Amino acid sequence: MLLLVGWQILSLNMHEIVLASPIQATTALWEMIQTPYYFEHFLVTLKRVSIGILIGGFAGFFLGIVAGLNRDIKCLLEPLRWLTMSVPPVVVVVLAMLWFGMGSTMAIFLISVLVAPTIYINTARGIEMVDKDLVEVAKVYKFSPLTILKDVYTPAIAAPLSAAIVLGTCQAARVVVMAELLGANEGVGYAIGFTRSNLEIPQLFAWILTTLFIVAIFEFILFRPIQNYFVRWKE
Amino acid sequence: MSLAISFDKVSKRYGNKEILCNLSFCINTQDIVGLLGPSGIGKTTILKLIAGLEKPTSGKIDIVSKKISYVFQEPRLFPWKTTLQNVMLPLEAAGFSKKEAIEKAKDSLFSMGLFDFIDYYPSKLSGGMRQRVSLARALSMEPDTLLLDEPFSALDTKMKDSLVEILKGRLNENPITVLYVSHFPQEVKKIANKIFTISNKDSFTETII
Repeated sequence: MLLLVGWQILSLNMHEIVLASPIQATTALWEMIQTPYYFEHFLVTLKRVSIGILIGGFAGFFLGIVAGLNRDIKCLLEPLRWLTMSVPPVVVVVLAMLWFGMGSTMAIFLISVLVAPTIYINTARGIEMVDKDLVEVAKVYKFSPLTILKDVYTPAIAAPLSAAIVLGTCQAARVVVMAELLGANEGVGYAIGFTRSNLEIPQLFAWILTTLFIVAIFEFILFRPIQNYFVRWKE
Repeated sequence: MSLAISFDKVSKRYGNKEILCNLSFCINTQDIVGLLGPSGIGKTTILKLIAGLEKPTSGKIDIVSKKISYVFQEPRLFPWKTTLQNVMLPLEAAGFSKKEAIEKAKDSLFSMGLFDFIDYYPSKLSGGMRQRVSLARALSMEPDTLLLDEPFSALDTKMKDSLVEILKGRLNENPITVLYVSHFPQEVKKIANKIFTISNKDSFTETII
């Protein structure tokens, strides 16, 4: 609410070519929602972010489990982890464009590469910190590896992992919009670039709201309920 | 009675520290053995070797038992599982169907006076209740060997006596092999028919009660 008030006050003091007001942006958004053009770009970005998170999330989770259980593999993966977390995202964007062109493959690769290390590091650290006493209980009662993963490790790391997924999703949505803006012919980022070129400022802000909406879908509709489910025992 | 557990010149070393040295003993099926001795003498190590949580540095251990249950000093319940789920989990891992696991878990919790708390998470239970869940989990498996590592040491005398009585009743109904580690001879004598008093890392004295 405070953000909205601040935005409204700022827009009153700035030229409309620089900053659209919340009312102008929401009006533009309402008009855009009624066109197929909006959903075309919205769904392209949503699909890219979803597939990218899925691939990056699974890769990070799987490698994190393996690295958390085996120090040698962790040492082997450490340089790759360091590299992917240290290279600036914009460099990854440029390289992804060079390797995969301007389509969805580039965006999905980009998201996967950016999400995987965050998930990986939180999973590996979580696995290392799982209470060894509980692992002993699992050994005494001869739990299968799948049961240990499902009923011991996963619930133990669920809270930090959910936080990492939310963090990764926000980062992924930002970067994919940037990548689409820099060199794609569809998606929210492309639409932002298009409206900016035509100086359609209310529409530009409507697309920015759409980006926030995409992050909100993942955070509040998908990941937050999952997180709440896994940590319900802490209440 | 047949042989349940045998240690033949078993040694266990952690780094440079030798905990057990050429220790040999035999335990028959349905023996209830109290393991007494000062802290750090290797009582818990013996239980962990039997449970397969540790491997001996040298020597041979023969375990005839197929089903071993272990009650640790701390309850060691999975905090994200309810009381019922904590008891069910090992049963399901042992191959029981979900329905059978629920039945067995409920029966076991009922016998511990915890039936009204089956949907509670461990954080909502008292220390004594948590240890009763741990005992219910161990007994629900219908083990042929039960390892008890100072299971009641953190409880008050009243709770301790009550749990010892419950355990005694269960063992009278279903005799199994038990190894009971404790610092308190009086507590052990209430249950055990044999006492091994470990005085150093390679020998112990056996007392038949």
